[in-house]
Amino acid sequence: MSACREEDPRIHGIKTKIRVVPNFPKPGIMFQDITTLLLDPKAFKDTIDLFVERYKGKNISVVAGVEARGFIFGPPIALAIGAKFVPLRKPRKLPGQVISEEYILEYGRDCLEMHVGAVERGERALVVDDLIATGGTLCAAMNLLECVGAEVVECACLIELPELKGRGRLKGKPLYVLVEYQ
Amino acid sequence: MATYGLLRRASLLSCSNSISPSPTASRRSLAAPFRRYSVSSRAQLISSGSRNYRSALFPLRCSASDSVKRPKMASEERQEPCNRIARIASAIRVIPNFPKPGIMFQDITTLLLDTRAFRDTIDLFVERYRDKEISVVAGVEARGFIFGPPIALAIGAKFVPMRKPNKLPGEVISEEYSLEYGTDTIEMHVGAVQAGERALVIDDLIATGGTLCAAINLLERVGVHVVECACVIELPELKGRERLGDKPLFVLVNAA
Repeated sequence: MSACREEDPRIHGIKTKIRVVPNFPKPGIMFQDITTLLLDPKAFKDTIDLFVERYKGKNISVVAGVEARGFIFGPPIALAIGAKFVPLRKPRKLPGQVISEEYILEYGRDCLEMHVGAVERGERALVVDDLIATGGTLCAAMNLLECVGAEVVECACLIELPELKGRGRLKGKPLYVLVEYQ
Repeated sequence: MATYGLLRRASLLSCSNSISPSPTASRRSLAAPFRRYSVSSRAQLISSGSRNYRSALFPLRCSASDSVKRPKMASEERQEPCNRIARIASAIRVIPNFPKPGIMFQDITTLLLDTRAFRDTIDLFVERYRDKEISVVAGVEARGFIFGPPIALAIGAKFVPMRKPNKLPGEVISEEYSLEYGTDTIEMHVGAVQAGERALVIDDLIATGGTLCAAINLLERVGVHVVECACVIELPELKGRERLGDKPLFVLVNAA
């Protein structure tokens, strides 16, 4: 899988467009900034195309995107593969009835919410975010979907930070990424 | 499971499915159908079929008629954009008393569940902007992030996120704007846009226009020409359009 991905000539162009900002949001963190990728229409299109090529024709009816950067990549993928887009949000942002999933941060907790009725039992879903670090957020996202009986087919991110071992926190579900940052 | 918000009970009325363009088709307003669904139990909210989930309730007008090249289109084609807008309008859910009493919240998440209506939403914007040499689509966090990128991708423009404070990691410029009580701030990365570029500003909804004004200011401060603001929904009573001054505003749906 990793070998196939690295052979795609578009990956190199995508990787060079991601800007690393040191010491954000706090000292020691090398922040992976995808906003510079969005400034390059070709690289942004290639990013979406790589996901769409992987998921088109796989009977996926739901793309769930995690607020806020998952909102940038999820909808174009959803539109291209004919799936609905479901935003997963921080507390009290979604106006209707929601289900919530709490998850652990390095210090403290956070919470992710999804609208009741957005996803139906038996639907096949992707979870999309810009980056996977520890995997806590994606795990919470998966739990929300599985709670209503959806099948999470895969998690998809642009970037993985392998040292943080998020891949192993996805309850055995597969993870697909375009770029690893060592 | 935590729950938030009220289950709405709407009386069941007959569904009106037909669309009749007004005789003066060149006017901005066209009648659109409105539907009410009965929501009598929580189980019904989670029933199969996404239509039961969308308890939409509103009278609406179709206000995107200027996107249609009227003189050259057959009457069938002339109706088509309004059919798309009618479907988009009916896919938007109104939640009363959110985030506070008296506010009728326009919920676009139900639109995103209707694959055809979501695609039509993007198409209507793309058709309007594709040959206008627009190189920047700026989207306001967070719901502007949902509509802006697909438009940007389709017209070959870059996407520039405009964010709440302390979210963007690099050097930023900030613009403060007034709220009903107090102020808020939006930020944009330095260097994201260049002087002379032509830009759109996208958000899901325009209310008072304060946020959009701040977004316009950020772009104009660095020499960008803001061609138009584009939203899915306008709340005309809040006069946001006037607050934009001479900046044109294009919307698909008015929520009365």
